[in-house]
Amino acid sequence: MSAAGGAALALHGVGKVFAGGTAALSNVDLALAPGEIHALCGENGAGKSTLAAIAAGRLAPSAGRVERAGRVGLVHQHFELVERLRVWENVVLGREPRRGLRVDAAAARESVRTLARAHGLEVDPDAVVETLPVGVAQRVEILRELARDPRVLILDEPTAALAPGEIETLFATLRSLAARGTAILVITHKLDEVLGHAARVTVLRGGRVVMRATTDATSAAAIARAMVGGDVAPLAARAALTPREGLTVRSLRAGNGAQALAGVSFAVRRGEIVAVAGVEGNGQTTLVDAVAGTIPYAGEMSLGGRVLAPGDPAARIATGVRTIPQDRRREGLVLTWSVADNATLGDQARAPFARGGLRDARAGEAFARDIVERFDVRVPSVRTRAAALSGGNQQKLVVARALAHDPALVVAYQPTRGVDVAAAALVRSRLIEARNAGAAVLLVGFELDELLALADRLFAIYRGAFVAEYARADFDRARIGAAMAGAA
Amino acid sequence: MALAGANPLDGFAALLSGALGGPRQLAETLVQTTALLFPALAVAFAFRAGLFNIGAEGQLVVGGLCAGLAGASLVAPGYVAIPLVLAAGAAGGACWGAIAGFLRARFGASEVIATLMLNVVALLLANYLVSGPLRAPGAQGPETALLPAAAWLPVVARGTRLTLAFPLALLLAGLLRFVFARTVFGYELRAAGEAPEAAARAGVALRRVAFTAIALSGAIAGLGGATIVAGTLHRFNVSLSPGYGFVAIAVALVGGLDPLRIVLAAFAFGILQSGSLTMQALAHVPKDVVSIVEGLAILALAARRVVAPRIATA
Repeated sequence: MSAAGGAALALHGVGKVFAGGTAALSNVDLALAPGEIHALCGENGAGKSTLAAIAAGRLAPSAGRVERAGRVGLVHQHFELVERLRVWENVVLGREPRRGLRVDAAAARESVRTLARAHGLEVDPDAVVETLPVGVAQRVEILRELARDPRVLILDEPTAALAPGEIETLFATLRSLAARGTAILVITHKLDEVLGHAARVTVLRGGRVVMRATTDATSAAAIARAMVGGDVAPLAARAALTPREGLTVRSLRAGNGAQALAGVSFAVRRGEIVAVAGVEGNGQTTLVDAVAGTIPYAGEMSLGGRVLAPGDPAARIATGVRTIPQDRRREGLVLTWSVADNATLGDQARAPFARGGLRDARAGEAFARDIVERFDVRVPSVRTRAAALSGGNQQKLVVARALAHDPALVVAYQPTRGVDVAAAALVRSRLIEARNAGAAVLLVGFELDELLALADRLFAIYRGAFVAEYARADFDRARIGAAMAGAA
Repeated sequence: MALAGANPLDGFAALLSGALGGPRQLAETLVQTTALLFPALAVAFAFRAGLFNIGAEGQLVVGGLCAGLAGASLVAPGYVAIPLVLAAGAAGGACWGAIAGFLRARFGASEVIATLMLNVVALLLANYLVSGPLRAPGAQGPETALLPAAAWLPVVARGTRLTLAFPLALLLAGLLRFVFARTVFGYELRAAGEAPEAAARAGVALRRVAFTAIALSGAIAGLGGATIVAGTLHRFNVSLSPGYGFVAIAVALVGGLDPLRIVLAAFAFGILQSGSLTMQALAHVPKDVVSIVEGLAILALAARRVVAPRIATA
C-alpha cells in the first residue's frame, strides 16, 4: 500500500454491502492530504461510521481499494477504553514497555506524560479512566492513538458529549496535530464545527458522496441541504401567549457527589420553555430524575398549584408530567419490544390501552400508527422492534410518546442528542408547538445553539446550583458560556 | 454413550422405548413432564421479570410439605380436599419465595443468592420436621402420614400414575401466556425484566414487581410440589424431588421462557428422565449420561446468551 500522489489516505471507488444485502457505501472516493483537517458529514445511517471503519482497516470493503501512507488511528464515538485501568495503562495497552517479564511502569508513565505534554493534552497518567469526565476520557483515547504514531487520525462524532469549552480545546489540539503533518478526518453533523475548523468537507447521503467543497466556498445551509437532500424545515414559530402557573420547585435537594443539587428553586410556567444549560455532570441528571419522580428528594414541587409527591413516577405521569430521557436506549425504550408496545409505555394501565387490567393491543397499535405518522417516525410497521430503528427514529418515537397526550409539563434532557439534522429540526419544532399549546417545557442540555433557539428563559447550572438566569431578550453566548464554566 | 462403552444406537433405542414405547411408558414420561413443567414455569415467570429464581427446588419442597401436612389432617370430600391441598402447596411455595422477594425488594439483596440459600434451608428444615416432630407415627422413613384417598388427585389414564396434575400444568402454561401477552401486570413485569430503567420511568414500581414475581414464582413451584404429594406419593417424603427445581432452569431456558415452548421442552426432558432407567438396564449406558446431556444443554444455552452477542458485536 503506497501513498498515491502524496495523499495520507486515499479511498478509490469504495463500496460496502453488509450481509443481508444492505448497501452501506457505494463508489466512494476520498483523499486526505497530510496536514489537512477534513470534515465528513451526513445524516444518521448515511454510512459515515462504515467509511471510518474501512479507512482504519477494521472493516474490509466489498469493492474498491484503500491506500494508506501509514497507520490510521480511529477515535470512536463510544470510547473504547478499559474503564478500570489507569490512563497510562490504557495508552500503552498492547505495546507495554517491558522489563523482563514485568511491565516497566515507570517508563510507560513517563512516555505517556511526555506524549501528553508534547500535544498539550493535559491528563494525569495515574487517574483511573472511569473517574474521568467525558472530555478527559476522550483525550486519553486520542493519546492512545497518537502513541501509535498515526499518519491519519479519524474522529467519529468527537464533540457529541463535550461542553463548549472542551470543544474549543479539542479543535486546538487537532489544529496543532495537523500542523505537524497528521491528516485529520472529523465526522460530525454540527455544521458550525465544519465551517469553523475544517478546510474541506465531504457529504455522504445514502452511502454516496453528494457534495465535496472547500469550506470557504460553501455555507451551512448548502451542507445541510446536501445532507438532507432538500431544504431543512424552519423552526416552528413561537406563539405570543401569557404563561400560566406550571411547575414550581422550592429548595430542591437531591442526589449526592458531583451530581448533588444544593437547594434549587425555580418555576417553569405553562406556555414557556425554560432551559437549564450546564457542562455535563453538574447536577442535570439529578434535576431531571427528581422532577420525573424517579429518585427521592427534599424540598417541594407543585404543578399548577397541586403538590407532587416524591417517589411516584406513575402519579406524575397521571398528572401530565412527561419525560424525554437522556438515554433513549436504556431509559426510554424497551428495545426488544415492538414500536406499538413502546408507544404505550407509561400509559399501559390507562384507557384506551387497558381496561380492568387487560390490555387492548389494538388501541395501542392504532395510537402508535397515529404518532408515527404525526412525528414522521420512519418504520416499516408498528410491529417492528424498536431496536431495528435508527437512533433518530428511536428518538422521534420517544418524543412523540411524551408529547402526544397534551402534557402539562415536559422534561426534555438533550432531546436531539445523536440525532441528524432533519430529525433534530422536527424535535425542536414539536417542542415549540407543545409550548404554544400550553405545556411547561423544562429543557436541559449543553448545546447552547439549541437552548438559545428554543428557550424563553435560561438558567446556567454549575455544581448543583443555578448560578445565573437570563431572559430571552438578553441571551448572550459568551456570558452564558462563562456562567456554565462557573465564572458568573 | 460410546465413551461409556455402549453402542449409542442401542442406547437411544432403549431411551426412546423406555420413554415412549407404550401407553404406560408414555404416561410415565408425562408424569415426569408434569413434575418438570411446574417449576420450569415458575423459573420462567421470575425470569421474565428479570429475576433469576434458582430456588424452585426449595419452593417445591416447602409446597409439598405444606400440602402433605394440610392433606393428612383433612377430613373432607375430594372437591374440597383437593383444592385445599393444592392451595396449601401454592401458599407454602409463595411464602418461601416471598422471603427472597422481600430481601430483594427491601434491601436489594441478590435474589440469586437468596433463593439458592433458601433451597438448602428448605431441604434441611423439611428433613428435620418429618424426621422429628412431624413424622407420621409408624412411618418407615422420614415422611408424613398418608393423605386420605379423597385428597388424592384423580388418575386421568387408567392403570397409570398420570393424574389431573398434567392437564392442570398445561392449563397453567396457557394462563401464564395470557398473563404475559394480554394483562397490564404481565406487560409491566416484562418491562421490568427487559428494561428496568425505562420501566421505572414509565411508572412501574420495580420493587413491588420484584416481590410479586418471586412470590408468585414460588407459588407455582409450590403448586408443583403439591401435585407430586397429592398425585403420586400421597404423602410428603423428603425425597419427593430428584432435583426437578434445578433441571427446571434448563427446561425454562430451552423453552425460551415462552410458556408453550416450555411445555415442549419439559416433554423432551421428561423423555430423558423417564427413559434413562430403561437405557441403563437394556443398553448398559449409565443413567448419569442424561444428567450430562442436561448439563451440556445448559452450557450451550448459556453460551448462546452470553457469548454469541459478544461475537456479534466484536
